[in-house]
Amino acid sequence: MSSYAAYVGKRLAQFLLVVFIGINIAFFVTHMTPIDPIEQSISAATSFGSTSPEAIEMLRQSLRELYGLEGTLWDQYLDFWRRVLVADFGPSLSAFPAPVATLIWNALPWTAGLLLVATLIAWLFGNLLGGLAGYYRDSRLLRLAGVIAMAFHPIPYYIVAFVLLILFGYVWPVLPISGGYQMNMARGFSPEFVLSVLEHAILPGLSLVLVGVGGWFMGMRALVSNIVTEDYVTYAEYGGVDHRRILTSYVMRNALAPQVTGLAMSLGAIFNGAIITEQVFGYPGVGTLLIDAVHAGDYSLVLGVTTVSILAVSIAVLLIDLLYPLIDPRVRLA
Amino acid sequence: MHILRALALASGAALVSVTAFAQGTISNLPREETIIIENPEGTVKNPGWFNYWAINAGGRSTGLQQLAMDTFWYIDPDYGIDGVWDNSLASEKPIYNDDFTEMTVKLRPGIYWSDGVEFTADDVIYTIETHMKTDGLYWSAPVQINVESVSAPDPYTVVFKLKKPNSRFHTLFTVRWNAMWMMPKHVFETAGDPHQFDFNPPVSLGPYTLHSYDPNGKWYIWQKRDDWQRTTVARFGEPGPKYAAYIDPGPPDKRVIAQLNHQLDIIHDTAPEGMFTLARESDSSHGWFPGFPYGHPDPTLPALIFNTQHEVFQDRDVRWALALLIDIKAVAMASYRGAATISAIGVPPTGTQPEYYHEPLQDWLKSFEIDTGKRKIKPYDPTVGQQIAEMLRPSMGDAIPSDPEEIARAFGRGWWKPDPEAAAELLERAGFSKRGDAWYTPDGKPFKIRITVEGEARPVMTRAGSMIAQQWRQFGIDASIDVAEGTLVTRRNSGDFETIMSWSVETWGGHPDLSFFLDSWHSEFVADPGKPQPPRNWQRWSSPELDKIIEEIRTIDFDDPRGIELGKEYVKLVAREMPTIPLMSYNVFTVMDETYWTGYPTADNPYTDPVPNWANTKYMFVKLRPHKMAQK
Repeated sequence: MSSYAAYVGKRLAQFLLVVFIGINIAFFVTHMTPIDPIEQSISAATSFGSTSPEAIEMLRQSLRELYGLEGTLWDQYLDFWRRVLVADFGPSLSAFPAPVATLIWNALPWTAGLLLVATLIAWLFGNLLGGLAGYYRDSRLLRLAGVIAMAFHPIPYYIVAFVLLILFGYVWPVLPISGGYQMNMARGFSPEFVLSVLEHAILPGLSLVLVGVGGWFMGMRALVSNIVTEDYVTYAEYGGVDHRRILTSYVMRNALAPQVTGLAMSLGAIFNGAIITEQVFGYPGVGTLLIDAVHAGDYSLVLGVTTVSILAVSIAVLLIDLLYPLIDPRVRLA
Repeated sequence: MHILRALALASGAALVSVTAFAQGTISNLPREETIIIENPEGTVKNPGWFNYWAINAGGRSTGLQQLAMDTFWYIDPDYGIDGVWDNSLASEKPIYNDDFTEMTVKLRPGIYWSDGVEFTADDVIYTIETHMKTDGLYWSAPVQINVESVSAPDPYTVVFKLKKPNSRFHTLFTVRWNAMWMMPKHVFETAGDPHQFDFNPPVSLGPYTLHSYDPNGKWYIWQKRDDWQRTTVARFGEPGPKYAAYIDPGPPDKRVIAQLNHQLDIIHDTAPEGMFTLARESDSSHGWFPGFPYGHPDPTLPALIFNTQHEVFQDRDVRWALALLIDIKAVAMASYRGAATISAIGVPPTGTQPEYYHEPLQDWLKSFEIDTGKRKIKPYDPTVGQQIAEMLRPSMGDAIPSDPEEIARAFGRGWWKPDPEAAAELLERAGFSKRGDAWYTPDGKPFKIRITVEGEARPVMTRAGSMIAQQWRQFGIDASIDVAEGTLVTRRNSGDFETIMSWSVETWGGHPDLSFFLDSWHSEFVADPGKPQPPRNWQRWSSPELDKIIEEIRTIDFDDPRGIELGKEYVKLVAREMPTIPLMSYNVFTVMDETYWTGYPTADNPYTDPVPNWANTKYMFVKLRPHKMAQK
């Protein structure tokens, strides 16, 4: 167990280093933005109504003080780390004084809910179909499924999304095309609300699954195609072991390890949000929040979303790193 | 293979279950009593925030400023429900003393907040004094610069004493899109720091009050007040819709789909192609104009703006040469697919402005000459609007008006004739030279121009900029597009551009006074190169002649007819000097669906602006009626 403890210690140190470097890069990149949040704010406030030029300079100074943008970059850097350590990203500059953490917290459940489910469905379907297609290579039905899955895979995501939108939103208008639930519905765990959430998630979810399933399918089919030529599989077949058992216990189980790693990476990345999905389907989530923040030069909010994302991906990778040696001892030995 | 069968079954079941769903629009509210309107702010990040006075903290055109806010006066961008000017919370126009250092406001009695408290001078005093003592609120700066003191001799009279003469002080409280709204004293005085108070739920001074909102910022629903008679719009009748929903319907394509499905009664704006689709596919949808160009000309003037602090563009001859290289017909086609309302002069061809400026100045424009150094030319072609209409007629048929006045109203009047020969003469006089096919600056460098455009966020303006760059390139100038995307505002404010597609002219629309934008063009406000420029003189142009015009406007009453004469002097000056090349009004493709509601404002019934994020659209609600009732 001592070698495993050393392994864990090494991975933990690596994790902390990755998080530290990632957040630092995020801080400096966001602060190098050519977009000035004060000018964006002034423009938003003055672009329609009456504007006194004399008042603008006064407003500019007031906002700089109010938003806490006084001081050097170094001062802001230290202040940022003080806040990160207590999970406080400060107020959003484009929705002042709302705390960044509150904005992220409001949006995150939608992103996580949609992407978690869509990623898991795509993973399950893709791997299941890919595994079957790799094993039953003569099945016409599975070949057809492979053609369909691979046909969707290279199509740009937004094309698939728009086709679904037009098909089920206009040509055969049976599904809602916007929002996370029906307007004016009371939120809670009532059957109506749950059904409404599911109904609104069908199109964005389906678009993600259709495009995502092909990648898992191809990966799994390739892995299974290799494994079925292994001696132990041939031996099992000659030995009269049931095909279903060979497929599940001998083939797919061995092929799953790299796919599980891929799943962990994908689950970590869902915290980035599916920006195009949210834009096309008007679905709530952190993707829209991030885009708005970038356009507004709201580096507090960009940093908040980015930091959550860095942490999520790093934690996912760390967990896989920690679990992998328990599944496959060769990793630890290596 | 059992697994495969199970998968196929599950997929089939999922597909069948889809048919069980129907596209519901709104839960627990009667659709026929609800108007659904696009809020162009999109998804509001901080949806539970209704404190408008804390700058940019939450949504503004969520219905908040249209249905729940109020202030002293409104100026309509079109012709108005009862004239262009409306005394809203005030019972009469502003009363100034002789030297414009004091303004008295008489308040309308009998107006109540939605919680039953009467609106009085106490609310005005509280609003002003809060802004005087608190920095960083929406209107803190203009109040602190202007107001010496404020007092209320009685509950319905407020007297402002000003720090210096200001004949336009009332415009702070005059709605053109928005204005300084009144705060409920009884709510805010116990709320603590006005920067930190969310004002949720808002206490309304308008005819509606908040019904519900999406914690994720996608929609807001407002309900008509039982006591709507105690609000200012009641003078014009009862608001039609019982409920008003302001929603984020998503990108332009989805707005079109939503309206085709009758799930979105008013689209705020869409692409020209979306407008054409709705005009073709839907019998119940229409724009501001019944046919081409459909869109509502906003009182905003997109232009090619020169950075006149840039060495090359300091010479008027260069600016004029570049104007004479533009074929506005091609620009109108590229930008708005022809659905543009052009303007050669520095005033948008919007609302009542053509009656004050465009029509009366036609003779002057026709006789206007510029000297190229070799000859004098008359650059104005009064028939360009007509030419655009004729160009579109073969493909658009009946959608194109045939009456010349209708054409002028829809497509604009004239513009500058493309004249490459005169442009060459002007450039040569400015010291430029042509070698081969390329033009060179007086110091021998290739003549390069970057046109900064916003990109996909504003495709119409981007396409106009691309077309102008192409036309300049054809003449031998190394012109290119510089796509700024989100950096446009910062770059425009700091003068980090050579030329930019934007607007620095915005007017009241209905009222001829030009001070709304023109005061900011005074040279006293021009920033040094690289320093942020206060809005709106993005061209950073200084002119002693213009300063004189502005200074005289400051000394006369808002309604003084002399203001129109001074406005015309401004128009003539900028036509001679060309600090910006005016192109067209900003046509907004607001599309209205008559399936549930009728009575929308249109070019034939221009009682207000239909563009629904304007606070002025509060007047639309008293004209809207359920469609079925209208048919009876």
